[in-house]
Amino acid sequence: MPLTNSFKEPVILENILNFAGMFGLIAVIALIIILVFKMEKIKELQAQLAKLKRAFDELDGQAKLIVQTDLELHHAQEELDKKVTGLVTLQKLTRMISTTLDEEEIFRKLEEKHIVELGFDRALAFSKDDANIYRARISIGYTMEETNYIIKELLNHPLILDKVLDKNKVFSSLDTDKDKASKEIPDLIKLLDISSFVCAPMMKKDGAIGALILGCESPYTRLTEGDKDLVYILATQIGQALENAKLFEETWRSHQELEAKIQQRTKELSAALEEIKLISKRKTDFISAVSHELRTPLTSIKGYASILALGKLGVLPPEAKERVEKINKHSDNLSQLINNLLDISRIESGRVELKLESLNLKNITDSLTDMLAPAMKEKAIEFLVDLPTGSPLVKGDKIQIERVFINLVGNAIKFVPENGRITIKAKMLDPETVQVSVSDNGIGIPEKDLAKLGEEFFRIDNDVNAKVKGTGLGLSLVKSIVAAHKGKLTISSQPGKGSTFSFTLPRGVI
Amino acid sequence: MSTFIGIGVSEKKDPFLAAAEAAKLALYQLHHREITLGILFSTIHFADKRLLEGITYSLGNIKLLGCSGAALISSHGILKYGVGVMLINSDKIKFGLAASGPINTKGPRAAGEEFAREALKNLGMTQRDMALILSDGLVENGSDLLRGIKDVVGSSFPVFGGSSADNLRFFKTYQYFNNELLANSLIGAIFSGEDLFGIGVRHGWKPLGKPHTITEVKGNIIKKIEGKPAISIYEEYFGKSKEEIKNTLIRMSIYYPLGLYVPGESEYLLRNALRIDEDGGLVCQGDASEGNDARLMMGTKDWALDAAAQAAQEAKSALQDKTIKGAIIFESISRHKLLGRLTEKELSRIKEVLGDVPILGICTYGEQAPLKSVEHYGEPYFHNETIAILTIGESHAANKLV
Repeated sequence: MPLTNSFKEPVILENILNFAGMFGLIAVIALIIILVFKMEKIKELQAQLAKLKRAFDELDGQAKLIVQTDLELHHAQEELDKKVTGLVTLQKLTRMISTTLDEEEIFRKLEEKHIVELGFDRALAFSKDDANIYRARISIGYTMEETNYIIKELLNHPLILDKVLDKNKVFSSLDTDKDKASKEIPDLIKLLDISSFVCAPMMKKDGAIGALILGCESPYTRLTEGDKDLVYILATQIGQALENAKLFEETWRSHQELEAKIQQRTKELSAALEEIKLISKRKTDFISAVSHELRTPLTSIKGYASILALGKLGVLPPEAKERVEKINKHSDNLSQLINNLLDISRIESGRVELKLESLNLKNITDSLTDMLAPAMKEKAIEFLVDLPTGSPLVKGDKIQIERVFINLVGNAIKFVPENGRITIKAKMLDPETVQVSVSDNGIGIPEKDLAKLGEEFFRIDNDVNAKVKGTGLGLSLVKSIVAAHKGKLTISSQPGKGSTFSFTLPRGVI
Repeated sequence: MSTFIGIGVSEKKDPFLAAAEAAKLALYQLHHREITLGILFSTIHFADKRLLEGITYSLGNIKLLGCSGAALISSHGILKYGVGVMLINSDKIKFGLAASGPINTKGPRAAGEEFAREALKNLGMTQRDMALILSDGLVENGSDLLRGIKDVVGSSFPVFGGSSADNLRFFKTYQYFNNELLANSLIGAIFSGEDLFGIGVRHGWKPLGKPHTITEVKGNIIKKIEGKPAISIYEEYFGKSKEEIKNTLIRMSIYYPLGLYVPGESEYLLRNALRIDEDGGLVCQGDASEGNDARLMMGTKDWALDAAAQAAQEAKSALQDKTIKGAIIFESISRHKLLGRLTEKELSRIKEVLGDVPILGICTYGEQAPLKSVEHYGEPYFHNETIAILTIGESHAANKLV
């Protein structure tokens, strides 16, 4: 038994060991399985991590792409903004300078604030003066001393000057390595004490007269091709404004010269007119004096001739009577001539005082008809009077106006053929003026003689005048009387068809 | 007991006449009240002694702060050429003015410290609430300047400011301090006027591509990113060589600045790269830290416009229920370049939020403003590419007394 017991204990121990071994084996297998699963999970996670990292890197890569695109967009936007702001300023400046016609004022209008609005810090403009020397016109950001020095030094940069002033090209610090002139860029930048610049020609019709330089102080201001365009437009506008100012000045100057000439000529004409008036007065005075002196002896001649002709001093032999009657008749003609001359001189010198009253044209034409009826009847002339309804009144001196009618109708009778026609018409020219016309269908007046009609002693050279004697003073008298009434005499005629003499008179009041 | 603000703008070409005109217009809006403080901004074209003579001619000797910039912002519009004056009359605002320089000899941090001590001394024993600073925009490490101020006033003290500019010439910027024309200086004031100021700062730029860890930094120079010279980030993204990038880096980094992740903030802190150093490191206007995640940032006009409205809203909300009497804006020149002709639209978005109040601002090379999140406890930082808006308010109670 004890043996059995002692035998049994190792068996139990063995069983326990076996069991533990099996359990351990199972546990190891389980752990291995778990480990395998974990390993798989780790692998999976590592793969996911790698995927995430890749995605993260890809996103970062995309961010780089975005940022690079965004930078381009910023540049484009900045340029656009600058252009829009520049154009707005340019438009404002153009309006200001194009309405200025003074050369100095054009340059004064370009102020520092405009330069800043255009995106620049400094400005310099120079052009040749009358003595052909370059002179500063705009200087912003420089003292006068600096400006003069810069202009002097600029003339030592022939390549830039040639490009801008001779070839009329815009030039900027962007143009590095573009042509020969670019060699002078660093020098110019140093001279102007700026970081970048645009230089453009100020153009007139016949070429560049100077240049405009705009510069940026900041090395971080990005100059663009758009800036070049902007400065070029501005410089061109200044050039055009200067051209306009010059044209205006020339026009103004010639206008002033013309004005001065007109004033001089007017002065001369006034002096001449005064002289003519004086001469005319002297002539009138002379005629008046002479006529007066002639009339006295003529009255005696005519008186004695009448006595002789009437046979109051005895009957005259027929030959003598004939001669005396001729003396009497010619004395009458001479007397009429002298009277007319005296009248003209009196009227012209204003010595005749017109007795102005409202006259009825109908009454005047009626008495005229009575007076001239025999003469018209002799030539079977048709006499028509066409006055508007209500017979207008005219304001005038009755005696003088009747003389006008007598002279005009008398002349018409003289030049109208037998069975001819004379018409008197009247119409209102305006509410204050009446126009009266005397027309005939007579021989008419040649055009060359029209202007001379009314001159004293002028008689048209025609058959009628050759037969009928006259003084050549009738129409002069008419003209003087009408003028004394502040009216105007006009004559129109067609040779062979007739003539119309029109005169105006002020309207009378009832 | 009230605050009145008037502004005037002029485009006259002579600095004296422009300043005199702008000052008179502002004074007219102020109904000829006594001037507590004057703010003078001008585009670089007017930075001349005669500008300050024009102010003195119109206003006499007043306390004045100002600087040159790339463009002038005012309620009337944006001008690339002009002078703007803001005049403040207030019996609630107290301040101590100070100027410190030359920064390049003293060092930015020392200059910042000197400024803060002087301003505090001039403020006296009054409670201090906010600092307004205007610094030379050519200082390469703007963060160091701010650090100097923070050394004195504490790191959570609100500082609002702008770095004067010269329209990307990077030659000389100017600061206007009382009747002095300064350069290479830090000027400003520390104000006392509890809850009278609201600050909002935003940019709207968004990250692009994967994050890159900054592995080596030396002050304001990011030397290495992921073990490679920092310039490689621009080389890789733009597919251009270092030589090609060298001359266009400033323009490139205006549109695509580096963004530093700031825990808790909704927007990244932006850094403009000024140049490449001899090892291929990027010299930035502000600093960065090793281990920071840097991203290439991208902006769009719409995002920039939205950011302006958000900044205005932030500045307005900071004033809570107070009436806004006026606002000062510092806008990065980069945003101005990005927006182009849309700058006027940005102004109208700001006005939609702030209402019809006098606004005066300038385009700067950098901005200083606090970060809002809890993690930063309102600590001011140097920013690039942002629009920073300071609203000046007044409680309704004060209004009722008028």
